[in-house]
Amino acid sequence: MNDVAENKNATEQIREFVLQKFPLARKRKVADSDNLLESGIIDSLGVLDLVAFLQQEFAVAVADEDLTPENFQNIECMVRFVERSLELQPGSVE
Amino acid sequence: MDFLIHHMLRHSAARHAEKEAFVHGARRLTYQEVADRCSSVACGLRSAGMRRGDRVGIYLDPSVEQVLSIFSVSQAGGVYVPINTVLVPEQVAHIARDCGMKTLITTPDKLEILLPVLHDVSSLQFFVLAGQSNGQDPAGTKVDSKPAHGFEEMLRLPVGDCWQDWGISVDLAAILYTSGSTGKPKGVMLSHANVMAGSTIVSTYLEISDRERILAVLPFSFDAGMNQLMTAFQQGGTIVLVKFVFAKEIIDALISERVTGLAGVPTVWSLLANGGILKHKFPDLRYITNTGGAMPQAVLKVLREALPATKIFLMYGLTEAFRSTYLPPEELDHRPTSMGKAIPDTEILVLNDRGERCQPGEVGELVHRGPTVSMGYWGNPEATNRVLKPNPLLPPELGDCEKACYSGDLVKTDEDGFLYYVGRRDTMIKSSGYRISPTEVEEVLFQTGKIRQAAVIGIPDEVLGQTIKAFLVAKDSTQLDCDAIQGYCMEKMPRHMVPKQFEVMKELPKTSSGKVDYPALRRREGL
Repeated sequence: MNDVAENKNATEQIREFVLQKFPLARKRKVADSDNLLESGIIDSLGVLDLVAFLQQEFAVAVADEDLTPENFQNIECMVRFVERSLELQPGSVE
Repeated sequence: MDFLIHHMLRHSAARHAEKEAFVHGARRLTYQEVADRCSSVACGLRSAGMRRGDRVGIYLDPSVEQVLSIFSVSQAGGVYVPINTVLVPEQVAHIARDCGMKTLITTPDKLEILLPVLHDVSSLQFFVLAGQSNGQDPAGTKVDSKPAHGFEEMLRLPVGDCWQDWGISVDLAAILYTSGSTGKPKGVMLSHANVMAGSTIVSTYLEISDRERILAVLPFSFDAGMNQLMTAFQQGGTIVLVKFVFAKEIIDALISERVTGLAGVPTVWSLLANGGILKHKFPDLRYITNTGGAMPQAVLKVLREALPATKIFLMYGLTEAFRSTYLPPEELDHRPTSMGKAIPDTEILVLNDRGERCQPGEVGELVHRGPTVSMGYWGNPEATNRVLKPNPLLPPELGDCEKACYSGDLVKTDEDGFLYYVGRRDTMIKSSGYRISPTEVEEVLFQTGKIRQAAVIGIPDEVLGQTIKAFLVAKDSTQLDCDAIQGYCMEKMPRHMVPKQFEVMKELPKTSSGKVDYPALRRREGL
């Protein structure tokens, strides 16, 4: 899988999850760069769902210092966080 | 004499006019400012047509306006109905319909979302809108053919010297909607006396003073959250509001605002325990309180390590009786799983099905008597009569003058009278003649260290009566090995308590207050 395809895949997967699990995101037709935290679309319990999803789908480790608005405020940030985490994980690049 | 909720604010403003009462982000208000603004809004509500006893919904995020609204409605002689903003429009409409809401205080954005479902709420007469939308002042405008008054405009109203209160302490002050195990949420009615007694009682055992800086992370639609606000204003302390998504936001507020007191539910503590609390120091944090469910022992261990000088109070309360028990911090080492004893001026009875006192170790229903027993459910005398019943231990000559609150929670005491939560009356499992507490089984499942959430229910079984099924949510991305978990349970529990079936889920169903939704799990099993 090349970088572009992988990248697109992660964006699509996260977007699909957000739209599926957060009805307000679907209702407001959020774009990848829209802030999901300030608008209240994703709350503290929602973040837990997101973390679980990212861990399960991408096998990334989410440490407590990763739980910040910078990593979760929109879909683009989440994709970047996943990409960075995968790069940092030993043996994850195939 | 203070006998109405806003009297507590008035009293504190008289004693500490220039003291910081309230902090939300960059906004800071003194007691005098809060009291003046509440008086103005109370005037505004009355001029808009509010009458004594009218129900006023408050559908606002944690904010200055939300706090001012609560005390303004009290001062205007109305009944405030705080609504959690995580509720969806249909749930808000249910509350509005159920309580015959006359006024709704919200923002233009929120009202826009609610309007389609508020059409058929015939009791609604006017709106109060906080914040401006598109730069338009809503004063004098109409929404859905009803007047919409501007909150900011009300804030500017002058208050005369001859203000007259309409109510007395036994009048209805607030309605808190809470989810039962079945049906739609019911509105628990609290009098001014209930709320003030809860405030005085909790202030007494938490030793809350005017030096307190209390961080409010729980919604005011939740009795423990509202009680934090009341204790702060009653004692002349400072309340700091924060709407959090990440544990880091709570940690930052604790440190920067030099917070001395924090109340949370188990979810909050789990977030903090997993969110880096051990990496910081909190020299100002004098106490924390847990309510809304048992704190997992593993989380408690982390908190005790992270907060060595902080007093940890494990508390229990149900909205129907406001606040009920607490475990003194000095007992935490000996009885970390106890919910403690009755709060001051309150008696907790543990009664069996015949209405007699239980012996130590015997499981019975927690029955609460005292000044925080609520007035029952709004507009629902049948449900009220199931929960508020005469105290069977009183001499018959007293008649049924006193109503005690039957919690539906099953508890037991140890030899020293300390209470232990066993489970809900309606989730108790009975297998091979043994009564089994779901929480006892779940605690063992948590001890495996591999599980983030667990819930067990009884499945009918021809031979045993019931067997146990466990629903599990993994702590991390690893695959759960249910055979190994069952093996662990076998080591830790008698056989009749060990789950026979397991199902791994992504997330357990939850009620809107974040508790595990057991009826939903039973429905999954066709029960």
